[in-house]
Amino acid sequence: MKSTTAASAPATARPSRAREAAAPPARRRVRRQLVTSPWLFAAPGLAIVGIFILYPFVSTVINSFTDKRQLVEGKYVGLANFRELLHDDMFWIGLRNSTLYVLVVVPALVLLPLLLALLVQKQIPGITFFRSAFYTPVVASIVVVGLIWVWMLDERGLVNAVLEAVGAGKVGFLSDQWLLLFSAMAVTVWKGLGYYMIIYLAALANVPRELHEAAAVDGAGPVRRFLSVTVPAVRSTMVLVAALSSVAAFKVFSEVYLMAGPTGGPAGEDTTLVMLVQRTGTGLTGRVGYASAISVVIFVVTVVLMLLVLRADRKEDR
Amino acid sequence: MLPLSACGGGDEGGSSDASGKVEGEITFQTWNLKANFKSYFEGLIDDFEQKYPDAKVKWVDQPGEGYADKISADAAGGTLPDVVNVSPDLVAPLAKAGIALDLDKSAGKYEKEYLPGAWKSHQVPGLQGTYAFPWYLNTGPLFYNKRLFKEAGLDPNKPPKTYDELFADAEELAEKSKGKVATLANVPTIEDFGRYGVPLMNKEGTGFTFNDAKGVELLTKYKELYDAKALDGQALTATPESTGKKFLTEAVAMNPGSALDLEKFKKDAPRLYKNIGITPQISSTGKDNMYVMGVMVNTRTKRTPAAVAFAHFVTDAQRQMSFAKKVAIFPSTKGSLDDPYFTKRDGSDETRVRIAAAKSLKTAVNYTPVLFSEQMKVELRNAVARALQGKQSPEEALDNAVKACDRLLKQS
Repeated sequence: MKSTTAASAPATARPSRAREAAAPPARRRVRRQLVTSPWLFAAPGLAIVGIFILYPFVSTVINSFTDKRQLVEGKYVGLANFRELLHDDMFWIGLRNSTLYVLVVVPALVLLPLLLALLVQKQIPGITFFRSAFYTPVVASIVVVGLIWVWMLDERGLVNAVLEAVGAGKVGFLSDQWLLLFSAMAVTVWKGLGYYMIIYLAALANVPRELHEAAAVDGAGPVRRFLSVTVPAVRSTMVLVAALSSVAAFKVFSEVYLMAGPTGGPAGEDTTLVMLVQRTGTGLTGRVGYASAISVVIFVVTVVLMLLVLRADRKEDR
Repeated sequence: MLPLSACGGGDEGGSSDASGKVEGEITFQTWNLKANFKSYFEGLIDDFEQKYPDAKVKWVDQPGEGYADKISADAAGGTLPDVVNVSPDLVAPLAKAGIALDLDKSAGKYEKEYLPGAWKSHQVPGLQGTYAFPWYLNTGPLFYNKRLFKEAGLDPNKPPKTYDELFADAEELAEKSKGKVATLANVPTIEDFGRYGVPLMNKEGTGFTFNDAKGVELLTKYKELYDAKALDGQALTATPESTGKKFLTEAVAMNPGSALDLEKFKKDAPRLYKNIGITPQISSTGKDNMYVMGVMVNTRTKRTPAAVAFAHFVTDAQRQMSFAKKVAIFPSTKGSLDDPYFTKRDGSDETRVRIAAAKSLKTAVNYTPVLFSEQMKVELRNAVARALQGKQSPEEALDNAVKACDRLLKQS
């Protein structure tokens, strides 16, 4: 019985033309529907992907080889935009800042939410309040978050008032090139903690309690148990967090834009690559072709970042 | 990635002949005016539709933020409204792309109704023609904080009148307050260079010239101010909003503004308002800076006579005057500034500022070149910041800025 069903399955799935013709009309209709229905269900999604993702992507790649401007159709210029990028100081500043963002923000966003998740994982009275509190920055609008931090870090803001009160003197969080960038990074980490904490909480819920108990019986302390039990158990989640946060960090815009202003900090020294795309490609005189070339570079770098993270994960697996 | 960008809307333009019958539906776009002036514009549209019963106006208002991007997307997509509120720097690329109607050809008869300087403000170097009706003008005095002046040992009734006095007072104020109070909160912009007497562009409009000796001199002075903490520490990243806030919170002693600001001071900062000092703009040329707004007609409109008639209607002397009485702006039509509203004193600060501004507007200049794009503003700002930080000499920084702006000009 089992073998008959298995043998007949391919025949049902791919009937010959003769059998199709011989089948009753109702069955033919059902078969046609079996073929067309999945596509009909997928059509809205495919249309959205096609219009809002594939078309802009292909269009951006094509534009990157043209000198298109906002109001002027461009002509093909080959690799001229990419050659110009090599000599554009602002591009290198943007690449430096975006890369630095990844290097600083990603390790923090891989480790800190894990530690936070460990803290709020325990079922104790009132823990829901802390989980909600840590998650609040995630749901807050980035514009609101940016403005609040600008007020706090201003020369006359809360942080400087506290520093002055303890005799440390004012710090130019929003006027020094590097302090401004690191302040923006701190905001990114602060805003992302809750989001990744939730992901880690889900992963931690799947770590068998027996492993911790066995390690404790063997005399392992909390640090040892964290390193030998928790970290290996959530390693794939850490890779996921690393991949997600590295792509997000490389494409950072809002935090830096809100804190550093439209010029990208003093003399544009805090500009990131996405800010550069916005600055060069928008407005009535925007250079769409050139901005597209920067976008293509961002795409390539983010793909490489993802591949590196996944490759590191596979190496660990081996 | 860049957002989905539409292709050009083709060249299926309407006629440039505005002499036909005023009829059909047109769309009019304003720039962030609905929130405060809804009833004014609804009344204006009603008046127009009564005058021309066969015409209908659909009014749309766009937010202030990202206005240029919205126009850009609409222009590229062929969906730009028939009549659009613009500033001269927005008109220039639209005129170059053939989207703004040349009013010298289509509506030249109206030129005599406007102040000559205002009519010229929407002309684009390198192109023949005028591409928008002048609408409202704005200018304003320099506000200063008398309390901060007094505390620094300066005479609060003798504010600086020249650049030399300004720089001297600023340094003294910084020294006396031990660097705690700066006088200015913004780095020099292109209009500051213009007001200082720096030639900004060559006559042909093909290259920038603000790196001449006078420009270097101004930037050198600002560098001295920055080093002396007479320029706010966050000036390098400041925006007009943030500098306004600094003045409001009495962190800086001087700030340019307009009659609109007085109301804000009274409401939001009563202590500042009590100590507010008002003095004319400082200018080496004898001419104040003014901001100009315009109303352009889209060349692709299918209703050219109605669009031109409405653009003129919005900007004629009667409507400009009534708009000016609702908000602290100034009409660009000939003779309007001689109205008693702009000349008769009543003892209030608001009237004093209004009368002074109206007087200065008769000779004021829009110092921002129409070809000076947002990207160019960023280039200049970054160059100024490099000079103030000491990373480049003022001369080198301005040379680089001119080079970058010239390159952008060629690419535009």
